[in-house]
Amino acid sequence: MGVITEEARRWANREYPRFEMQVTATDIAKFAHATGETNPIHFDREAATAAGYPDVVAPTLFPYVVRMHASALVPPEELEADGSPSADVPPLTTRRAMAGETSVVFGEPILAGDLITVEKRLAQMYEKEGRSGPLVFVEMEFTFTNQRGELVARESFTRLYR
Amino acid sequence: MSALPEVGAEAPARTRTPSALDLFMFSASAWLLHRIHYDTPFTTEHDGHPGLLIHGPLQGVYLVQTAESWLGEGARLRSISYRHLAPAYLGDSLECGGTVTGADADGVEVELWARKTDGTVTTTGKARFEKR
Repeated sequence: MGVITEEARRWANREYPRFEMQVTATDIAKFAHATGETNPIHFDREAATAAGYPDVVAPTLFPYVVRMHASALVPPEELEADGSPSADVPPLTTRRAMAGETSVVFGEPILAGDLITVEKRLAQMYEKEGRSGPLVFVEMEFTFTNQRGELVARESFTRLYR
Repeated sequence: MSALPEVGAEAPARTRTPSALDLFMFSASAWLLHRIHYDTPFTTEHDGHPGLLIHGPLQGVYLVQTAESWLGEGARLRSISYRHLAPAYLGDSLECGGTVTGADADGVEVELWARKTDGTVTTTGKARFEKR
């Protein structure tokens, strides 16, 4: 008998609403500064157009910012004690969470002014015995598209609960 | 356009030592609310960590930046997978490096890693870059 209960399995069979993020040059500049980017294409429209982009371009891993907003831009009462969005936390006794594995395939770049839609689904949930007890792996899949319906990125992300 | 590096070529190592401010900015810019990146009492007392954690996704960014700054404008990241093997905490320095493990007419496969000064690898990744 593992730690993934029937209740958790029922929880896993759910759908998440689509989420849209209107990406601004400010959003891009914040993430670029937070990650130490210095290339002016992330901050300055003229530099971006000189480099062949129609507008300020987001750093490569910016889809992460979109999917975090999709999960966590909720009223504070919809957050767990550790700050995680409740809707993302399976009903398990193992609740201490950490990032596991991430795989991303990139399509079109994200530009200032884009309206990015993210669709999210739980791909799988499974458990393994770790050194300090059971580990539960929750794998989410995200598909990001822009306002023209072009694929921006596809991501699979696994979170661990111990 | 400059040619991409050959199999076996190594990226110049970049060492990253994020401060508490860097961790907070990353959380804030992504609207990542998980307390283990900014609330020290919660992180140590509730979750039993020795200190604030350096975000896994921030280490993912470090891997991407290591490769992008090495390969330059002539290459574009097509795909990446990375895994976190050990936690990294505020105060840790992460040496980030990479090496080309495969090459074809369109691009290169690169292995990437971040490791602490004691040699512990915290994050490893594989990426494919293609010529623009």
